[in-house]
Formats: sequence, structure tokens, C-alpha cells
Amino acid sequence: MILIPCIHCGPRNASEFAYLGELGRQPDPNTTTPPEWRRYLYTKANTAGWTVERWVHRAGCGRFFTVERNTLDNKIRTARPPDAQIRLIQQAGRADPKADA
Amino acid sequence: MVDRAPLARSPIDPAPPVAVVDGWEVSDRQSSAALRIVDCTPLAKVLVRADGDGEAARTLDVGFGNARRDAAGTLVVGDGPDEWILLAPPGSAPTLAQRLDNLASGEFVSVLDVTHVRALIRLTGEDAAHLLAKVCAIDLDEQVTPNGAAFRSSVAEVVTDVVRDDQASARSYLLHCERSFGQYLFDALLDAGNEFGMDIDGFRPPGI
Amino acid sequence: MTTMLRAAGSAARLGPQPGEVIDRAHRFTFRWNGAETAAYAGDTIISALAAAGERVFSRSFKYHRPRGLLTASFIDPGCLVQVGKEPNVRGAHRRVEAGMAVRAQNVWPSLRYDVMALNQAMTRMLPPGFYYKTFMAPRALWPAYQMVLRRFAPGGVVTNTRTDAYFDKRYAHPDVLIAGGGPAGMAAAVAAADEGAKVLLVEEEYELGGHLRWGTEADLATLRELRDAVAANERVEIMTNSTVAARYDGNWVAVAQRNLRHVDERLIKARAKVLVVAPGLIERPYVFAGNDKPGVMLSTAVRRLINLYAVKPGDRAVVFTANEAGDAAIADLERAGVQIARVVDARRGGNLVRARGRGGVQEVHLADGARVEADLLVTAVGWTAPTTLLTMAGGHPVYNHRAARFFPSEPPEDVLATGGIVGDGTLDQLLAHARAVGAEAARRASIRARNLRAGNPTAPSVDQRSPDSSSSSIPDLPIDDSPALFRSATHGIVDYSEDVSSKDIFSAVREGYDSIELAKRYTTATMGPAQGKLEMVNAIAVHAEAAGRSIAETGSTTWRPPYAPVTLGALAGRAFEPVSVSPMQPWHERHDARALIAGHWIRPDHYGDAAAEVRNVRRNVGIIDVTPLGKFDLRGPDVPRLLNHLYVNKWSKLAIGSVRYGVMCAPDGVVLDDGVTGRLGEDRYVMTTTSSGPETVWRWIEEALQTEHPEWRVHVIPVTAAYASMNVAGPNSRELMCRVVADVDLDPEAFPYMRVRNGRIAGVDGCFMWRIGFTGELSYELHVPAAYGLHVWETLLDVGRDLHIGPFGIEAQRIMRLEKGHFIVGQDTDALTGAFAAGLAPLVKLDKEDFIGKPELIWQEGHEDILHLVALQPVDSSVVPPEGSQIIEGRRRIVGRITSSRMSPTLGRSICLGFVAPHLKEPGAIVTVRLPDGGHVPATVMEHHAHFDPEGVRLRG
Repeated sequence: MILIPCIHCGPRNASEFAYLGELGRQPDPNTTTPPEWRRYLYTKANTAGWTVERWVHRAGCGRFFTVERNTLDNKIRTARPPDAQIRLIQQAGRADPKADA
Repeated sequence: MVDRAPLARSPIDPAPPVAVVDGWEVSDRQSSAALRIVDCTPLAKVLVRADGDGEAARTLDVGFGNARRDAAGTLVVGDGPDEWILLAPPGSAPTLAQRLDNLASGEFVSVLDVTHVRALIRLTGEDAAHLLAKVCAIDLDEQVTPNGAAFRSSVAEVVTDVVRDDQASARSYLLHCERSFGQYLFDALLDAGNEFGMDIDGFRPPGI
Repeated sequence: MTTMLRAAGSAARLGPQPGEVIDRAHRFTFRWNGAETAAYAGDTIISALAAAGERVFSRSFKYHRPRGLLTASFIDPGCLVQVGKEPNVRGAHRRVEAGMAVRAQNVWPSLRYDVMALNQAMTRMLPPGFYYKTFMAPRALWPAYQMVLRRFAPGGVVTNTRTDAYFDKRYAHPDVLIAGGGPAGMAAAVAAADEGAKVLLVEEEYELGGHLRWGTEADLATLRELRDAVAANERVEIMTNSTVAARYDGNWVAVAQRNLRHVDERLIKARAKVLVVAPGLIERPYVFAGNDKPGVMLSTAVRRLINLYAVKPGDRAVVFTANEAGDAAIADLERAGVQIARVVDARRGGNLVRARGRGGVQEVHLADGARVEADLLVTAVGWTAPTTLLTMAGGHPVYNHRAARFFPSEPPEDVLATGGIVGDGTLDQLLAHARAVGAEAARRASIRARNLRAGNPTAPSVDQRSPDSSSSSIPDLPIDDSPALFRSATHGIVDYSEDVSSKDIFSAVREGYDSIELAKRYTTATMGPAQGKLEMVNAIAVHAEAAGRSIAETGSTTWRPPYAPVTLGALAGRAFEPVSVSPMQPWHERHDARALIAGHWIRPDHYGDAAAEVRNVRRNVGIIDVTPLGKFDLRGPDVPRLLNHLYVNKWSKLAIGSVRYGVMCAPDGVVLDDGVTGRLGEDRYVMTTTSSGPETVWRWIEEALQTEHPEWRVHVIPVTAAYASMNVAGPNSRELMCRVVADVDLDPEAFPYMRVRNGRIAGVDGCFMWRIGFTGELSYELHVPAAYGLHVWETLLDVGRDLHIGPFGIEAQRIMRLEKGHFIVGQDTDALTGAFAAGLAPLVKLDKEDFIGKPELIWQEGHEDILHLVALQPVDSSVVPPEGSQIIEGRRRIVGRITSSRMSPTLGRSICLGFVAPHLKEPGAIVTVRLPDGGHVPATVMEHHAHFDPEGVRLRG
């Protein structure tokens, strides 16, 4: 079982987390078209190599975060908070505490 | 109008003999086993949610992942990022919550009595770590989770908060989970503790 | 008749040996196929039987050939036995115990007269793929084939009546985990522990020591030193009679531990910072005609027998040797008084042709034409490196033709190898290598420990000095030359467990299986209980020979977990299945509630008669335990924004004291969950979800708050278990409430439908109650602090006796909600049901700024070509079409389905909810429901979803 580096709790067994899929950029709901929206919902790149994906620490702190994982050997090189939180942290002028694993 | 004095019950069946302490039905069993399990559900539990970098956090002065006792003897646990749980003797939740309401003015802070949300169990004895190693994947080594460590993980497949809270230098862990899983978790720990000769001990106030 | 006792001290038992592991002071008996047999403590099952003169221990898998000792170790393929109710016990490994009932397996009717041995005569008819080819067609005969094949199936007898077994699991976090407790493993363990590492040393056999145990006096002295050093180091945890079964990503290592008194087998899930692989070498059998006859043994097997168990392996031996191990075996045999009939030295060109004999070796034919009488044929042709764990870590073994064996390739950072698997050399060279590897493992582990602690908030702050980054140098081990001896001029068995011969592999290659991976699957070579460790290299060599390629070109097959078989019991272990119950569960149990398992909850389905429970609610008053309803405490000024985001309907103007029904959709517009949310104070709300929904809804809420709108000031706290929830329903419910509620005006004007009040119930403060209900009756849903749930429940039943109060369960509630036409998410909707299809058009507010699912719902609006949820009543009121029945048109066109159906005790007729095609959704339409038995019933589409009280008069009363 691989270890997922939770940005709050540290490395934990993957069984404590829920995998939420590849990180996709959500189109603007007010201007999106059906093909674009459904591509966002259903079409995944399924890359063999480095991917950015979303996880939530279900059995731990309950926090959402994104990791960069290599699907070929399960190595993880970064773990960071969701974009919206990083934006807020930057607005507040605080350092991003645990951006990288 | 029926308005009788209610009896509070833990989700865990009390091992006989049974006594009533501060309105709670508890086990009055006395055990001197080297490894003991106690249902501590009657303890007051108050949850605080606030910004981890704010004034409330500074006042509580306990970081995520750690626990310590304040001057009043309340165990303050940093049990999540931006989240604390305070454990105190039975019946003290309202006063504790009131005190916490004034934690930080002008800051967005939520204080909630979660006494009824959580089942609380204490394991005491040198083998407590060996027992937990059978149901929990976290490294319980001194280098990783020393006295005062607090973490949330899966214990026997139930999401459980674990606090290492040694008692008179004996190794001890507090475990709390969603109340409805209380009996299941207690039974799972009893089963895991069988090989170490674990016994049930009663709840004696103040209990924390 | 007196039973003859086969004695431990007679037949083949030798005098005391310097390294013996048997305790001659403890002598006892056990049973072998019913016969009383003597043994010493420390004997394996097979060593005791060999001492008693037994030679045959099982019959082979396919041809039922008699099998004896081959390796005298854990992997010995002919020594699997049944011990009591435990099948497939490794008889050459398992220590025999007093009174053990041991039986030969895979024999019928007996070991000596085995009917299946006819298969031997049929060898020509059982080529590889025989079963695949023969038992394919016709398909109709598959059940018959199954019965035939069952008879042929190998292995012991599995019983489902065993109750004495106890299996267990445990986690471990060693700095260094060492697989193999031979000299290299022990030296590495001590070196790593001396550097401060916490070491877990795992050894397959009962004692540490590996090959030193059957070595010279000097070897035994070194063994004692190593054992003492390991035992003296408290940082080393020793686990004997245990196997490192697998290594997965992140050094997640599975260990099957068998050395526990109270546990049959325990699976250890170890997160090792560094894994050191030190399994030693496994002696390779030689392929020739008759190589599986009892009496053909490997040199290590005879050395184990003589030195560990003081058992004489035979009387007259031919020894085929190509190395020092064979030479040492000769010396041991001579010391044990075995007559050496002939030494055939491969280094001088000697070779074997075949072994002959009935029931065991009697004569050995040599390449020089000699025929030598012997009952023992010992071979020492070379070694196999069990690289299994290393290849699980991503390595590919590399063939070295000079040494005639595979070597591991460079493993990843967190895995190291030492011992015979890496190279040869003197014992001192081996130990020096192991010590260097142990120290290096400790160094790497400390770096890893440091990195792990750095991200962990519970760990004390890490020393900022950077650890020693220079890796210590590990000396190279020399590699000895070894002849490439795999097969003689004749064909013999390659895989003893699977009964695969070299001829089978040749014919597989002829049939086109020219890849070793394919040939392995086709012939099943290497797929038996030895997991390739005994037969892999021979299989590759024979395949290479047949295909006319080199071994390096042929390559190795993939080694997969487990290294050695693990019991299913250990894998299942103590199964954790969390169970949730409400505070009223003790009452339900006392009152014979039929349990309903719903997710992790156990709830009362009914208390004997669901229909009577329905009638009582409609006539008087009932209470139901609805504690599993998901509940969230929502606080903060931005709660309305969150609610607007989650639900399809509007929430901006919910007044304090009011509750509202809401529906959540997923981003694809599919109905996700529903429930009511009430506003209890200025910034305080309580949300309820379905009983199965809290986990999903929690994730939805937190995702919105954490990843999209972290600026919203909202705290959401799951409080499902905090409240004992019960619904009081029925015409008498207000009267009942008046008797227990102190501080709330219950007058319908003051506390009308869809309102919430905080209050004190039966002396319990901190309760809230709202007027809603799934049943369609006047009803109050009470939420009571959980520790008082049982108190309030019992009080209600007590004070409501004259109002004819009774409990009702989920089944009664399901009937009543169906009478009212309320759908259940997940029952009446599925993963394709959009909000409009579920009839929720009036609820969906597309003019809201944004909410989850909005784009899809905009596109769904006005689409008519979807199935619509309608209420249906079968024309024959006594027929209840089962849920899932199709609604059809013509002979086979499906135009809908029944999603819920019940007999209504209130209406005295059957009622349904279901989906129909658009042209059938108008009230009065008659549709055809096809029943599972093929029958058809017509049913009428109703005007309202509610079959009963569509205006909701009773509810608002």
C-alpha cells in the first residue's frame, strides 16, 4: 500500500484517503457548453506518468489536497492545498506552510 | 407533565457492578490488571473550530497533533487543523463552553458541546501500544507519537481520535469515535487486548 | 491385536549429532495415517517419519506418483500433509507434536494403494493443456466435468466446521526488516541495530542460522556467536517460523507469523523503512528420468536429516556432485554409516541417466553405462537465488552463465540484498558483506525516518543537522563458477508440485508456447506451492533448450506475491466490520425487533407485524427510531450561501424557527440526496440527510468549503450520532407531546407544519423538534442528546400507553411513505435519475446564481424524452408487482419499471411508484407490468404521487 503525504497529518496509508480523480479545471458554469462540461465531468487523461490528482484524508483530518503522483511507480513528488486555499493564503500575505511534500 | 430527572447512558454497556456518577450510568468495576480499558464517555467534551493562525488558537496554545493540560486540568487536544477538543470532568461542558465563547472577539469561532457526539475510551498499561498496533496502522514509537501526541486515524476500521495521555508515567491512550460506533470499538479493543490479559476497569471521577 | 509402535530411536535414527535440534529427553507419539509413531521434541513431522523408516509421504498432483523427501525443508513438494483439520501442512517444516493426527493427502483410498496412480499409465494422455483441451465442450457437460476434476484436485481436505482456529493481524514499523535469519541476516541485523535501528529479523525456519546449522564445528561456533549477538541486542525483534510473503510499494511488507502460541497465523503489515533481503540460496534439483522417486534427495536434504534430526537418509547411496555441498554431503553420509556405492563427479564429466525402482530408488543408471544398486540418490548440481522479494521491488534478475544462476539487479533505494543471493565467498567475506549492508540499511532508514517525522505533527521537532549522507561502502562478493547442469539426457520432473515434466515443456514449445511466460501458464510449471523457488530455473533452462535459445535470452518469469503461500485465515484475519447502533438499540433488542442492516447501521425493520404498525400510526400514534438520519450542525454567517450552493432550491430567506425540504444534485444533475434543513438561531442551522447520505454530503460540503469557497465563514460539524432521533407520528401525537414537552407552545397556530423549536423533552434539555414527517400524519421529529435517547423513548412509550402508542420500524415507514408517494433516493432514483425525471421541477430554481448541477439541469429542463416518476396502482388490487418489474409495451419493448411496491394496509390494495416513458405519464394511462414469472398485470397511472391524503390534510392538522 502506498503512502499518501497528507499536507496536515504527514504520510499515511492510502486506505485512509479517498481518491477523487485527476485535477480538472472546472469551466465557468454560466458560459459552459454541454460538450465542454461533460468533457470536464467524464473525460480523463489517464496519463502513464506524472499526474496531478485530488485526494481527501477521509479517515484523518478530512482535508482536501492535490498531489503529483507518477502512475508508473507511485512516487509522489508534491502535495499541496487546493488552489482556492493557496489563493486565500497568498491574499492574506502568509507563507504557504506545507506546499511541498 | 412528565419531567423526570433523566439518566445519561454511554453507548457502551457498563460492566457490572453499575453505579451512577454525575447523572451517568457507569461501571464501578475495580481492576488491577496490568492493561485496563475504561469507558470514559461521561467526560465533558467541547469542540472548538477557529482559524489556526488566529487569536483563539493562540489562547488555546495547542497545535494540531498535540495535547496538553491547561491550568484548570482540562485536556486541550489539537485534533484537527483549525479544530480543538477539550476534555473535562463530567457535567462541566456548559461552563467550559461558556468560557470558550469568549475566546476571541471579532473572530469567527464555533464552540459546540460534543459530549453526546463521541464515545470515549481509555487504555492504560505498558501493552496498550501493542494492543493498538493490532488495530491501528500508526507508528506508536516514542520518536513518532510520544506522550502528548494526538492524531486521527482508522482504529479497527472506525475513524478514531487517539491521544497519548500517560497516567502517572504508565502508558495510556484516550480514544474517541462517533458515539454510535462506541460499543463496536470497545468490543474490538477487548478482543485485541485478550492476549495481553486486558481487563475492564470502572469509571471514577474526575476521570481526566 | 497389538499395535506396533514405530520407534523414534530405531530404524533410521542415528546417535547424537553435534548440531541436532531434537531433544532426546522428550519423546512422545503421534499418529501417521492412524498408526502410532514415536518422535522427539524438535522433530519435524517428516523427520520423525523418516526416522521410523517411512519413505513415501504423498502422491503427486497429476499422476499420483509416490513422493518422498526431496529438500527436507519448508518447500519440500512431496511432504504436504493433513494435520487434523488443517490441510496442506508443510510436513518437512512443521514440528511434530504429541498426539498430532497426521494423514497423507491426495491419496485415495490409501497412500499405498492409490487408484489415481492409474494416471501414471496414462501419462501419454495427460499432456500439458489436457484439462483445457478435454473439458471444454460441450458446455452442457461442464457440471459433470467439474465433478470429475474435483476428484483429481490435489491438496488436503478443507473443512468448514473448524472453530478452534484463531487468526490475527498486526501492524509494525521497523526501521530495518530483514528477510532471512541465516548468517548474513543475523550479521546484518546486529550491524543495523548497533547503528541504532529498530530491526525486525524474520526467519522461515524454527531457528536462526541457515546453512551454518548443518555445517562444520567451526560453522557451529560462528552460529553460536551470531545467535548470542542477536539475542543480546534488544533492538532486534526475532520472528522465527515466519515468512516475508510480499513487498509492495512504499516498502509495505507482509509477514506471515506462525510462532505464536495463541494464534494459528498472524499477518503482519510492516511499513519497513528499509528492507534487507537475505534468503540465502535454494538447492536446485536435477532433471532426469526418475528424479521424483522416493530416495532421490538434494545434498542439503541429507545434510539436514543427518545433522539436525540424526536421521540416516538411506543405506546405500549414489552421490552426484558438482560442488562443495555435494562433497560435504558425502562426508556426512559416511559419518552416518551410509554406504557410498558410487560418487559421480560432474566436475570430472560424470553424469546420471535415470533412477529406477518400484516405490522408490533401487538402481541408478550412469552415463558411463554403469548400473548401481542404491536406495538413495543424492544430487548437488547448483543453486537458485530466490530473488522473489527483490523482483517485487521492481528488479529483474540477470542470468550469469558462469555461475549458472540468476542474480538480482540493482534494487531501489529502500531495499538491499546480502548473503548467498548476492554472491559466494568464504563465510568471513559473507559476514563482512552482511555487516556493511546492515549498517547501510540503518543509515538509509534514519534518513527515511527523519523525512517521515518532518511531515508529521505528532513527532517531536526534528534535529536540523543533516544526517550522514555518505553511503558506507559495501564490499563485493566473489562469484564462483558452477557447471550449467539442468537436465541429463533423459526427461524428468521439472515441477514436482504440479507434476510438470521436461517433456511437457518441450511439447509446449512445439505447440507454439515459445515465450517462457506463456509456457508457464500453459504447463503450470512454477505455479505450485513452492512458488517457483525449486523449479523456476530448471523450467527456464528446459524451455531454453527446447526453443534453441540461451537462458539469458529466455529470461525469467515474473515473481509475484506471495513468496510462500499464506493461509486464507491470515489474510482474512480478524475482520473489522464496524457496526453503528442507536441509543435505543437495547430496547429494540428487548422487544424482538427484526434487525435491518443498512450500511453500518443496525435498525429495527419491524416488531413483528409491519401492517399493524401502519394501522396504529394512522389510527393512534407510533414512534420510530430515526437516529441514523444524517445530521450536521452548520454555523456562521455564510450558511445560506452554502445551502444555496448545495441544494437545487432557494435558501436565502429561511426564517428562524423554520425548516425547508431540499434536494441536492451532483454536477451531472443526478439526484444525490434529500432532507430538511432547519434554522435554529441567527447563525445556527441543522441539516439532515438520508440515513445513507451523511458521508457523501459531508464530502460535498467540505469540498465546497475547502476547494471552492474557503472565504465563506461556515463551520460544519457532523452530529449524526449526537442526537437520538425519533419520529412521533399519528393523530394522537400532539396529545402525547403535550405530556412530555415543557417549554414549547404546541398549539398548531404557534407550532405549525415545517417549523422547528428548541426545547426540553421529558426533563432533557438541549433537544430540538420539528414538524415534518415521511408518514403523512401529524408528526414531530424529536432530536434528543444521545445519552438521554433511551430515557426519552421509554418515557414516551410509558406516558402514551392510554393513547395506544406503539413502536414502528423501517418497513412500516416505507409503506406509509409509499402511500404518500414520497420517493427514496437510491430506491426510486438511481445513478441516472435527474432532478426533472424525479418530478422535482417545482423545486429546481435555475435563476439562482450558481449551485451544484446547475449547468446540466439547465440543459435537462424541458427535455421530454426521459422516464418520469409516477404513482401506479395495479388494476387487480391484490397483486403486488415485485420491485424492479419492467413495464413493457408490445411483446418486449421496455417503457418503464416499478421502483417501489407494497400492499397498503390503509387502502387495502397494492400501490407502486415507478418510472414510465413520457407518452404513458398522463393520469389514467394503463400500462403493462411484466412479472418475474412471465405473467402480466395492467396498472393505472395515478394523478398524484400520493395514494393517500394527497392534499396533506392529516399532515398539517
